[in-house]
Amino acid sequence: MSSEVKPLLTIDGLCFDFSSQAQAIEKPGNQILNQVSLTVRKGEIVCILGASGCGKTTLLNLIAGLLTATKGVIELNSQKPKKRLGYIFQSDALFPWRTVKDNLLLAADIDRSLDKKALEQSMLLYLSIFHLNEQILTKYPIQLSGGMRQRVSIIQSLMFDPELLLLDEPFSALDYYTKLKLESEFSQFVKERGTAAILVTHDIEEAVAIGNRALIMNAGKLQKEFLIRSEAAVMERGTRDFAEKYREIWSELKSVVGEIQ
Amino acid sequence: MTKSNSKSKIFELLLYPLPLLAFILIWYFATQGSQERQFIFSSPEKVLEAFLRLVQSGELLQNCKVTILEALSGFLLGTTSGAIIGLSLWYSQLVAKIAKPYITALATVPIFALAPIVISWFGIDIYSKIALAFLSTVTVAIVQSYQGAMAVEPRFLRLMHVLGASRGQIFRLVVVPSSLIWVLNAMKLNIGLALLGAFIGEFISAEQGLGFMIVKASGLYDMATVFVGVIALIVIALLLTSLVEQLEKHLMKWKVQ
Repeated sequence: MSSEVKPLLTIDGLCFDFSSQAQAIEKPGNQILNQVSLTVRKGEIVCILGASGCGKTTLLNLIAGLLTATKGVIELNSQKPKKRLGYIFQSDALFPWRTVKDNLLLAADIDRSLDKKALEQSMLLYLSIFHLNEQILTKYPIQLSGGMRQRVSIIQSLMFDPELLLLDEPFSALDYYTKLKLESEFSQFVKERGTAAILVTHDIEEAVAIGNRALIMNAGKLQKEFLIRSEAAVMERGTRDFAEKYREIWSELKSVVGEIQ
Repeated sequence: MTKSNSKSKIFELLLYPLPLLAFILIWYFATQGSQERQFIFSSPEKVLEAFLRLVQSGELLQNCKVTILEALSGFLLGTTSGAIIGLSLWYSQLVAKIAKPYITALATVPIFALAPIVISWFGIDIYSKIALAFLSTVTVAIVQSYQGAMAVEPRFLRLMHVLGASRGQIFRLVVVPSSLIWVLNAMKLNIGLALLGAFIGEFISAEQGLGFMIVKASGLYDMATVFVGVIALIVIALLLTSLVEQLEKHLMKWKVQ
C-alpha cells in the first residue's frame, strides 16, 4: 500500500482523561489516552492489541464521538468525523423487541431522508454476503444464535454505508469455527468494498489472520506497530509466515504485559 | 409425546381446583351443625344462598359494576399518567432529582389517610373513588417506569448515539419500548391497588359498590353477604389481572418466542 494515498482516518496527538467528561457514557475509570497518533487507509484493517484497561475501547469511543478528546485531532477524510461510523460492539446491540428486519432498518427510523427501498435492497445484498437466510428477517434476535446475531449486528452497522468500521472485540464471544468464518467474510468485505476498519482485540491470532497492521497499546500509548501484510487475503493459520508474525507480536505483547505485572 | 403431554395438561387442569375444593369442604364440615360457628364464619351453603339472592335482586351486579368502573377508571388514569411522567423524567436528571422526595412522600402516605380529604373534595359519589384509585396507582407507575427508563441497556444508547439519533428518537425508539416490561409490572401491581383505593372510598362513605355492600352487611352481622362481596372482589381482581397478562403476551411476543 503506497504511502502517497491520502489516509482515510488521521489521529494526531490524541489525549483523553475521564475527569474532563461532563456526561460520560462510559463509567468513569482511570483510562487515559496519551498522545495517540495513527492513520488508517482505505481497504485496511488495523488491529489494536493490548491488555484490558489499556485504553483500546476508549480510543474507539473517541473516534465514534461517544467521548470528547481532551486534546488532539481526529479527522476522517480531512474533516471532523460525522456521526455515521459503523460501530460493532462485543455483544450485539440488537433491540430484542424489534424483528431482525426492523433492527436492520433502524437507520431509516433515525434518518427520514434515507430511501427505505434502497436500504432494503442493500439489506438483502448484505444478508447474502454474510450467508444469512432471508427467513431470519421476521425473527426476533432472541431466536438467533450468537454467530447469527453478530452477523446481523455487522450488517446493521453497514446500513449507513460507513467509510470506517469500528469493531470492539466483535468475534470474541463466538465459538472458534464461527469466528474463523466470520473473520474471513468480514475481511473480504472490507477489502472488496474499500472501507476500512479498526479492530480492537485481545487475540493475536485474529490480528495476524485478518489485520494489515497491528498496533500494540499499553497504558494509553501506542507502543509499537507491526506490518502484517499489505495484500487483501486472510492469512492462513498454521503457515510459517503466520507463525513468524504471531511470535513477533507475542514477544512484544509479553514484554508489555510483563511490564504491567 | 404429544399425547402424554396433553394428558399431563388435563391432569394439571384437574389439580387447579383441588385446594379450593379442600377449603370449601373443611369450611363446610367445620361449621356444620353449630349455629354459633355459622354466625361467625358463615358456611358455604349460606354464602351460596346469599349469592343467589344478590344475583336475583340485581344488587350484586350493580355493585360490581360500580366498583369495576371506579377501580378501572382510576387504574387507567393513574397508570397512564404515571407511566408518562415516569418515562419523561428520563429527559431531565435535575427534574427527576427534585421530584424524587415528592414522589416518595406521595407513595408512602397510606391511602386511607388521604381518603377523608379526597372524599370531602370530590363528594361521596364515584369521582372520589376514582380519585383514590388514581392516587394509589399513580406513584407505582411513576416509580416503575422511571426505573425502567433508567435501566436501558447502555449499549443500546451507545448504538443510537453512533447512529446519530436525537434525544427524542432515543426516547421513542429505545427508552419507551425497553421500559414496557416495567410499565406492565406496574399495571399488575396497580390492579390490586386500584381496587383497594376504590374499596377504601366506598368503605368510608358511599351509597353503592362492593365496599359499601360489605360494610353494610357486616354492620348487620350478615357474614354470608360479606363473603359474597369478598369473593366478587377476588374474581374482579383475577379477571383484570388476566386482561393485563393478555396484553403482556401481546406486547412482549418477542420474549415468549
